[in-house]
Amino acid sequence: MPRVKETPLLPVEDVREAALFFVVGALCFLAALAALSAKSTYGAAKSWTAEVQGELTVSLPDADRRGADDAAKIIREIEGVREVRVFSKEEIDALLEPNFGSRGLPDSLPLPQLVAVKADPNAPDMGPTIARKLTEAGIASAVDEHADWAGDVRRVLAIARMTAMIAVALLVSTAVAVIAFATHAALLARRDIVDVLHLAGARDRFIAGLFERRFWVLGLRAGSVGALMALGAAALMIFTVQAHGGRSGLLPELSLDFFDLVILVITPVIAGFAARLAARITVIRALKGVM
Amino acid sequence: MTHPRHDLFEDVAVRLDSVSLRYDTSEDILSDIDLVLKPGSFSFLTGASGAGKTSLLKLLYLALKPSKGEVSLFGRPTSNLTRDQLSALRRRVGVVFQEFRLLEHLSAYENVALPLRVLGRREADYRADVEELLAWVGLGQRLHAKPPTLSGGEQQRVAIARAVVTQPDILIADEPTGNVDPEMGTRLMRLFLELNKRRQTTVIIATHDLGLVRQVEAPVYRLTNRLLVQDVEFGGQAARRRTDPGLGG
Repeated sequence: MPRVKETPLLPVEDVREAALFFVVGALCFLAALAALSAKSTYGAAKSWTAEVQGELTVSLPDADRRGADDAAKIIREIEGVREVRVFSKEEIDALLEPNFGSRGLPDSLPLPQLVAVKADPNAPDMGPTIARKLTEAGIASAVDEHADWAGDVRRVLAIARMTAMIAVALLVSTAVAVIAFATHAALLARRDIVDVLHLAGARDRFIAGLFERRFWVLGLRAGSVGALMALGAAALMIFTVQAHGGRSGLLPELSLDFFDLVILVITPVIAGFAARLAARITVIRALKGVM
Repeated sequence: MTHPRHDLFEDVAVRLDSVSLRYDTSEDILSDIDLVLKPGSFSFLTGASGAGKTSLLKLLYLALKPSKGEVSLFGRPTSNLTRDQLSALRRRVGVVFQEFRLLEHLSAYENVALPLRVLGRREADYRADVEELLAWVGLGQRLHAKPPTLSGGEQQRVAIARAVVTQPDILIADEPTGNVDPEMGTRLMRLFLELNKRRQTTVIIATHDLGLVRQVEAPVYRLTNRLLVQDVEFGGQAARRRTDPGLGG
């Protein structure tokens, strides 16, 4: 007899496995998208906070241009300050344009002088130090640390990131539960085969191994399809944003970098392992019920 | 196939001590059964339909736990064994099921080889043995046939080949000749006797074919009213038919 490949001991269940493949693939798609969102939000928070860390705006309500220059000189001498720049009248007008229109403000309207400061992000208490030095010099000031505003943004993004991670965890748990349910159904449907193997002396781990291999492969394949679909969806979003001038508004920065690709590559592996684990636990527990 | 595999200290292959069996809350199907089968013995189990023959055999091949009493195989009480230890004992027991229990998606060859795959043997190592065994039961030309395409008799022969392919220490057969013609029945009985004689395989065959029972000199146990009794009369008749030319052993 010519050597032939051994037939798998568990027959292929086309209809049931096609349905399960679809469900696991869809869950992997959603999980990969949620993971990409979590990572993207993390990246955006990091980028935004890095930009504003160490930036301050000093408002001088009673000072004229000369007073502003004096204040800038005092600030420049503080340790940790890297750059100091007094806002010009045109710059202040530009800042207020969204509120007051493009015709500019009347000269009679009193406006504070503004000084932009860039300091070492790690320098401690920069805001209070600047305020104290100016007060000592007899200059009234209000110091606005941009990092205070970034804190609010960071908190919102942290909540968004946590939500995305909970979604990933829930989707993975759902996939495990679905596979456990499907394994149990397969076990019931193939009770005859399991019984024969059991009575032929097959150990529990041998029988569980048959189901593990089956669902490991299914998880890998369905996870790959889900990850590819997520890649397609992310690419489509990036393309759409770039087609509209590259602005994503308040949305996190959209990109596909190395770590995004790592997420997409490990999605099917996680799906495979989760499927395998679910199948193993289900079969071992079910076999405990027979002698 | 020439040496007995029983250990010297295993002076009992099967032992049932006051074994009772009931399903759920119903009455006992079997009650206070005592049975001892010595290594290398050959026995029949008879009884009317529904007497509990299959249930008793299930206790012997460790498919069921008794409600009461103890089942021991090879001198080891089975009630406190781990699952792996039970699997190890099952590997020493070959079973011919009444309903065959062949896997329909596997060929006749693969069904026979199934216990060897469970043992982790390589296909190249057992191929010749399986082919020879299938040829011996008259299925040498049906190696690739799937069970649904086989007749009842052919399926029964595949089931028997699967039960003996590992050369088990105990062979338990539930109506093993129920679907074959008398000539094949005699041939299969010769296979059982050969296993019993050459390898000291302990054989117990459940049947209500008294003609089959009379062909062999062997103890006959009969299930009646949930109890097991040894039937002396059939053994005597079997002894008188020892010279039957169809059964050389």
